[in-house]
Amino acid sequence: MGDAAHIQFDTIPSFLGVPVGDLEDLVPDQIAMVGYFCDNLDRPAAGQRYLARQLRYASQSGKAPANAIDLGDVNVFPLEPDKHFSAVIAQCGAVLETGARMVLVGGDSSGLKALGFAGQKITGANVPVVSVAEGIASNLSDDQPTILRVDLKELAGKWMSQPRRLSGQSPTQMIAQIHATPGCVIAAAVFGLAPALDNRGSTETRAALAILQAVTERLEKGAP
Amino acid sequence: MSNAQKRLMIAGYGGLPFGEVSQCEAGNVGVLGVPSEVSNGPRMGASLAPDALRRMTGQLGADLPVNGRDLGNLDLSGDWSDALMQLVTQLVDNDVVPVVLGGASDVALAVLHAIPDLPVVAAMPMARGDVAARQANTIWVGLNGAQPADVWDQISQRKMGWRTARHLDEGHGEFSESPERAVLWIDMSVIDLGHAAGVVGLNPAGMKPETLVAVIGAMLCSWQAIVITGLAPARDTRGMSELAAIETLNAALRDG
Repeated sequence: MGDAAHIQFDTIPSFLGVPVGDLEDLVPDQIAMVGYFCDNLDRPAAGQRYLARQLRYASQSGKAPANAIDLGDVNVFPLEPDKHFSAVIAQCGAVLETGARMVLVGGDSSGLKALGFAGQKITGANVPVVSVAEGIASNLSDDQPTILRVDLKELAGKWMSQPRRLSGQSPTQMIAQIHATPGCVIAAAVFGLAPALDNRGSTETRAALAILQAVTERLEKGAP
Repeated sequence: MSNAQKRLMIAGYGGLPFGEVSQCEAGNVGVLGVPSEVSNGPRMGASLAPDALRRMTGQLGADLPVNGRDLGNLDLSGDWSDALMQLVTQLVDNDVVPVVLGGASDVALAVLHAIPDLPVVAAMPMARGDVAARQANTIWVGLNGAQPADVWDQISQRKMGWRTARHLDEGHGEFSESPERAVLWIDMSVIDLGHAAGVVGLNPAGMKPETLVAVIGAMLCSWQAIVITGLAPARDTRGMSELAAIETLNAALRDG
């Protein structure tokens, strides 16, 4: 993308204030951040689809790795599940095929499923999903491709605007788990939060942004 | 209409079907709302609790770990205290566990009157003389602040079990003696207002909600009746207080 285009697109809200780009801009080891606007297919809860938008609007620049890029949202077809999954798998696959690592932001856990299939398609092997809520799987080697699962529902109720459970992790614990994840993280999904617009919503949004930042840092690191 | 909305209209507390006492089987629970209001003080709103709890369990999709019926709300127009006592007695006689959603503390007192012989596990910040005076020893959970001297004398002389909120939050939740069968009274004011604002009592340095859930869940009592009072849901826009009540109730029913 040329300088003129950069200037034109500077005002578009993007994840962590990173440049906005497209698939052809991607190079190996770049971090592609992608929104996922679908929350009715797996553990559905209306409102989760707005997380990507909320995080883009609340983002400030300078907090993401220098090689991160916002690709916009993947095309979704929430009312046609078969078409939806094949489209999202194909789009995630196209991103991973460039050698970039990607994080899918927002929506429900159906995005993670599609990401898992895409990872399997690209690597030719099953790609284990590592959940930050379930502790660290120590049996993974450093070069094992993995996908990071960051379900924001696992945050403790006191961090949320509309809590659904009392117990859970703090953002700090979640971030520590993200950094301690073994294996070569090739992709991640951050999902499960229907962001609110009240004062508490501001808290949960900031927590989600800090977690997203940690995910991009972990993706940049690849293998620890 | 979403599934959650449908569920709100057709199901009662924790996904239980609405029903009558006669439909409750032995080993079931019978959930009854008693929306009485606190008589004085600046923090009203306890009468909204039963319906708020039903709504919240519907929104969360939180099912009770036991079967039973939601018996609706008690009509408070007449002598509801006597009616409540009769209903509780009838349920207990049929081996059904009454789960009574207050309301103010007068709801719990009526339940305790209906079951006079059983010990009580009372989660509340201030020990009560009328409960301490019962024949069986009471176990006090989450005491906080200065206690009435005469009540404290009773507790000490009769060697009742007690733990302060601070004891419990620091992990000292074990009780040397735990009754096999007891009535559980949870006054939501036992929780620190800073953690969950929807309570009728002010209790700075009270228990954390998750501590209450853990302590009640760890008790090995077989609960013969459970009553929750002091929840003022309108004072907590986030629903933490309702969530604390729901999770505590689930913990009690799961393990007790």
